[in-house]
Amino acid sequence: MTQFALEVQDLVKVYDRRGRPPVRAVDGISFSVRRGDIFGLLGPNGAGKTTLLKVLTTLLRPTSGSLRMDGIDVVAQPLEARKRISMVLQETANELFLTVRDNLLTFARFHGLDSRLARARADSVMEKFQISSYAAQKVQDLSGGSRRRVQVSKVFMVDTPVVFLDEFSTGMDPILKRAVLGYLREESSKGRTIVLTTQILGEAEELCDDILIINHGKQVARGDLNALKLLSAGVYEISLTFAELPPAIDADIAALAPLRSRIDANTVEISLKVEEAKVLDIVSELSKKGRVLRVEVSGATLEDVFVELTKEG
Amino acid sequence: MGPLAAMVYRETKIRSTNVTFLFFDLFYPLLYLLVFGVGVNAALGAPSLPAGLDYNSFFLAGVLGMATFGIATNSSWSFFLDRDNGIFLEMLTYPMRRSEYLLGKVLFNICIGILQAVITIALGCALLKIRLEWRLLPILVATVIGGTAAWFFFYSVFALRIRRNDVFNGVVNVSYFVLLFASSMFYPLAPLPAWFRAAALANPITWEVDLFRYGSIGYGEPRQLLLEAIAFALFALASFAIAVRSLRDQG
Repeated sequence: MTQFALEVQDLVKVYDRRGRPPVRAVDGISFSVRRGDIFGLLGPNGAGKTTLLKVLTTLLRPTSGSLRMDGIDVVAQPLEARKRISMVLQETANELFLTVRDNLLTFARFHGLDSRLARARADSVMEKFQISSYAAQKVQDLSGGSRRRVQVSKVFMVDTPVVFLDEFSTGMDPILKRAVLGYLREESSKGRTIVLTTQILGEAEELCDDILIINHGKQVARGDLNALKLLSAGVYEISLTFAELPPAIDADIAALAPLRSRIDANTVEISLKVEEAKVLDIVSELSKKGRVLRVEVSGATLEDVFVELTKEG
Repeated sequence: MGPLAAMVYRETKIRSTNVTFLFFDLFYPLLYLLVFGVGVNAALGAPSLPAGLDYNSFFLAGVLGMATFGIATNSSWSFFLDRDNGIFLEMLTYPMRRSEYLLGKVLFNICIGILQAVITIALGCALLKIRLEWRLLPILVATVIGGTAAWFFFYSVFALRIRRNDVFNGVVNVSYFVLLFASSMFYPLAPLPAWFRAAALANPITWEVDLFRYGSIGYGEPRQLLLEAIAFALFALASFAIAVRSLRDQG
């Protein structure tokens, strides 16, 4: 048995559009994912993440390239591949006319779980996701956040070796999100491989063992968090909180040509690619603009790497 | 539990929670028979039918055909509901073949179709004194099964290929009108103009309704019915193959 849960080689997916030029949504991507890893697939909107996920989950057939899951050819044996996966789609996906419990039980039936085991799991999963009190309610009567809980909880009903999560945390409150990150780590430590896409880079930074950044359907960078941060060596995050926001501070910031910047109330956050020796000079210059209450300087975050690697032009 | 059983479980759960679904699935065609059938029988009679055959007995096959057609259009429309709920794509990642996805839905439809036929025939016999040819019951049952499946596969092709609900509804409404009225569902074909008769003979509804008519009251020409049965089976198989193909690349 191969050590990889997923092996992707030169994968291409072209959308042919009537009367318009074809779009290469995935353009020659290759990667492999070790068993039990949490693998992050990152990229800006329209980078090809969802298309790639749809190909990996047999929803779309690739135009060319090879794709193996647990050593099985996904294109030639899609049913065998589907036996090994469960998925949370980007859009909310539930049986609206069924109760929360029936949603979980129906999902379990499709995945071949024995009904006694399914009932026991449903109870434990509902407890975990704090939806037990809605067990007998139809999903159509729940709020958007609760519907999302029901959707994500389904992948915990089964033991498929590979789990795909497409922006799973959308619509989740921060407390539940934190708990789910913990559950995902637990599943990974049991040997389940988790492939996720997210726009929330802090989530990927916290969770992923291995990250692939794509843009325009092509690989931009690949590696663990430390390896990726090396790609952005010389990037620094500066955060200054003023007693009162100095006038024209935005023009001063723009003059520094930052990778990104943000002004939130009296706090200014800038991400810069500069020599280490110049960082203190910049902090000192900015501090002269007003009374500073708090200063923080740190190295590159995943967000810095992401912005630098995927920025246009 | 296999995927077919899981799909039947899912459809049963969904349908049993909705009284409107149940009403349309089980009683709508019966009302057609009781209101339209009785009205035509009383007001117009059936002058072009063989002696001893009343309009209610003739129209029973049309109602059974209409029922399988109705189940199919309702059930294919549910693809749009599933798309809107997001569950459609998720289900395509479940461990089942695309053909099993469709066959599971058909299995449930067939259960409903048989139940509907039993209710319609029982009340038709009790209230309208329709006399069934019980020795032909296997043909009747086979036609319910084949008809329910064929029309579901046929309309699934449209529901899967057309992404817009309103366009699909337009297709259903137009085809409903053309297929139902240009057929032997409401009237015998013999007195019709030649062009109309030719169109009706090329219509799968006619093939199905003629089989229902033979299976229920023994009316029909066996050699022509054999040809119609073969044509209808081919229509069902072709629709199934295209529907399975349409399910691929739904992402």
